[in-house]
Amino acid sequence: MSSGERGESSVGRQHRLWERLVGDDGPVGTNLTLVAALIALALVAPLAWLAVEAADLGWEAVDLTTQATTIEVLVRSVALVAVVTGASIVLGVGMAVLTVQGDIPFRRFWTVLCAVPLAMPSYLGAFAAISAFGPRGALSHVLDPVGLSMPTIYGFGGAALVLTLYTYPYVFLTTRASLLSLDASLVEAARTLDCSRWEAFRRVTLPQILPGVAAGALLVALYTLADFGTPNFMRVQVFTQFIYARYTGFMRPYAVLLSLQLVAVTAVILAVESRIGADEEGAYESRGNRGAVELGLGKWRYPALLVPAAVFLAAIALPVWIFVLWLTQGGPGYQTGGLAFSWSYAENSVKVALMAAGASVLVALPVALRSAASDSWLARFADRLTYVGYAVPGIVLGIALIRFSLEVVPAVYKTLPLLVFAYVVRFVPQAVGSIRTSTQQVDGRLTEASRVLGRSRLGTFRSVTLPLIGPGVAAGAALVFLTTMKELPATLLLRPTGFGHTLVTYIWRVREAGLYGKAAVPALVLVAVSALSMAVILAGGER
Amino acid sequence: MTKDTRFGRRQLLKTVAAGSTAAIAGCSLSPGGNGTDTAAENGSDGGDGGSQVPGEIPDLSAFRGSGAILEGRPAPGGTSIRDLPSLSGSLNVYIGGGEGGIYDQFMDLLEEFYDDFSVSSNAAPSSSHAQTIVEEAEAGETRADVFWSIDASSLGFVADEGAYEPLGEEVVEPVPSRFTGEDNAWVGVAGRARAVPYNTNEVSEDDVPNSVMDFPEADFAGSMGWAPTYGAFKSFVTAMRLIEGDDATRQWLESMKSAGTERFPNEFVISSQVADGALQAGFANHYYAMRVKNQRDDPPIDLAFTEGDAGALVNIAGTLKVQGTGKGDLVDTFVRHLLSAEAQEFFATRSFAYPMIPDVEPVGGLPTIDELSPPDIDLSELSNLGPTLELMQEAGVSG
Repeated sequence: MSSGERGESSVGRQHRLWERLVGDDGPVGTNLTLVAALIALALVAPLAWLAVEAADLGWEAVDLTTQATTIEVLVRSVALVAVVTGASIVLGVGMAVLTVQGDIPFRRFWTVLCAVPLAMPSYLGAFAAISAFGPRGALSHVLDPVGLSMPTIYGFGGAALVLTLYTYPYVFLTTRASLLSLDASLVEAARTLDCSRWEAFRRVTLPQILPGVAAGALLVALYTLADFGTPNFMRVQVFTQFIYARYTGFMRPYAVLLSLQLVAVTAVILAVESRIGADEEGAYESRGNRGAVELGLGKWRYPALLVPAAVFLAAIALPVWIFVLWLTQGGPGYQTGGLAFSWSYAENSVKVALMAAGASVLVALPVALRSAASDSWLARFADRLTYVGYAVPGIVLGIALIRFSLEVVPAVYKTLPLLVFAYVVRFVPQAVGSIRTSTQQVDGRLTEASRVLGRSRLGTFRSVTLPLIGPGVAAGAALVFLTTMKELPATLLLRPTGFGHTLVTYIWRVREAGLYGKAAVPALVLVAVSALSMAVILAGGER
Repeated sequence: MTKDTRFGRRQLLKTVAAGSTAAIAGCSLSPGGNGTDTAAENGSDGGDGGSQVPGEIPDLSAFRGSGAILEGRPAPGGTSIRDLPSLSGSLNVYIGGGEGGIYDQFMDLLEEFYDDFSVSSNAAPSSSHAQTIVEEAEAGETRADVFWSIDASSLGFVADEGAYEPLGEEVVEPVPSRFTGEDNAWVGVAGRARAVPYNTNEVSEDDVPNSVMDFPEADFAGSMGWAPTYGAFKSFVTAMRLIEGDDATRQWLESMKSAGTERFPNEFVISSQVADGALQAGFANHYYAMRVKNQRDDPPIDLAFTEGDAGALVNIAGTLKVQGTGKGDLVDTFVRHLLSAEAQEFFATRSFAYPMIPDVEPVGGLPTIDELSPPDIDLSELSNLGPTLELMQEAGVSG
């Protein structure tokens, strides 16, 4: 501490501390920050029930945590997260640069192609991959007669591949948004100053898009950590599968303890990301956007398009082909009656997903606005806190919410509001991220002008900020909608009695019963509806 | 073999003559039937089964499945639904996943027969339901009247935690005591035997050891499949632990693993691969092989059963009356319907389950439960899964 500060009065010191904590933009700003923090706390509060339950274990908890098998599974999970995140960054950034800056034909078409794998639940992708590539799978029937054999799809590599295919669009979308708002004049200046194309990318473009890349990578990392279906199908024992086996084996306190470890890993990932993403000033803000950079690809123009084409074939065309095979040939399961599909399941899915999207936007707005507007520690903390729920596996959240609601608010137990709350806890960070990013891009001078011209704070928000961040809000809502449509474990545990199936619980039901053919129609409907919501997300990028 | 006069010779002839039409009737009867998960959604495909009059209990043919495997099957004995008190009111059923689809279909039928009876079924994994039921009971917030589990371990768990009400004596009376819980806490409604599906081109029945513990030394040991993440497999390992002890079980798992036993996500895949010849044999519940048989034209697959050990475990899907239901009598009558001649025939012929009442025979030449020699263990003890998971993990066969 410098000698000058030492002379400061204690009141002054306290005031400075307070400023750092909650912000320096007046009482209204402070109150909003506190509201944001309270919202974030309310979202993660039910998870405290996990700690209560794990405490039942006493000292045994320490033994279980440090067991060799627990450590082994932990290391494998972290390795999977690292590989999938790394691969998603390479693929996502590459495709974003190609579709935003490359001089390719039908730009919009390729953009959609790159983003649409997000519409497919990764476990369906994994299942289709096994059906196609697995021993005696659909593709081996084609290849065997030619004397070719399939490399095994099972294991760590297969799980990493499938997860990358279905999560890289997160990086693609966030990077694309950053690239679109990149000031082309900066890159031109660098090129004029004799920087090579690569150097200009590394020294000008990359620092500008890094926070965007980091935001997408964070979602990829947390999705991978919380995913159960894909590693399970691929026979890789990761944390979620370990937890699930213990939960279904009536060892709930142990399962809960493991979940807390998962939350701890999440905290580490969040800390890492906030070091990269912290320097957001100027990154998204682009005051003089002079249009996107054009990247001349020359003779690589068409070969480069093979990558998104291949990704689309593997991630979407292949599963759809498998579903259609099931539809026409009845699938690998057996045929019995019962469990007929009903369109009401699709209605249920859309209904809860819309409610989750709407609620998420309401919750995310204050958190994201404060996080974008204030440098305070509390505003940033509230933002980060919402991400915890995204990494908590649905089954764990389900357990926590059952216990929480039964003991604290029985009136909401197994009601629609509780189910929607679960979705908000799980998926709101996607809306927070999207809204925060678009808010940061709003030119501060516009809102200042509005205030100077006598508009109230609320009036300014309504007439200036909101129209500008509208696309970001819509994209956030669409992301929540999309992921809610795909959610399974929390839905199974928390849906109200008599509510009926959603598309995904129905797919689960018929798959469990071995009636794969019946999974085809709902799977196709799910992908179609989700793909429609992709349009909203992509429209947000085009301004 | 007991023949019940209610399904006399004429009726039987009619059934056989009906042949393929039985299948059609069976299908269209599933009806209103898309309401798998709730009673509320009724019938887009709602044929009412040709001659069947809504509100009346139809002939046996409406309950029977179809397929060559059922040819010449005798009529079932036991109590007919027609002789049971009728159902009226509504029930909430927590139903387990997996084979539960066939049970939903049967509940749809009951709704067809009884105008003022409705079932709202909620599907989730059995063990998940079991834990939810215990928590609800502790909080005094019971939501389910009936727990219909596809595994005895989940029933045992709820019973151990005391979150049940005993079923009426007349409900459990027709079922052998090995398939009922202590204090009438639960009753089995469909049986499933552990079995060894083997490829008849590759393996002769004599080569299959009588003791499951001898499998690591069997000729075909290098070409077998198992599904360690599947609940039935874990119950099988638990049974082995209870019979042979932890060390022998760990040793067995390690030996089978090092012999090259291949991992599969479920036991239907194992049975299919055995029929394909990709595997010589496997560990699976008996009905998967029956399904393969019923679906293909004379596939080279058959079932072997071990004797008196975990390999011959007969587990059950069963029902339990949830504590605090307030509809105890209705639950009793409902469960009696599940143990009726028609219901047992339905489960036996459509899902190839072992009937729980002695007067209904298992399908397709399966040995009866008396001919099998299942191990003498208390099915409720299968809920002691913790040590099983630890042991599987130690042996490198993670569940």
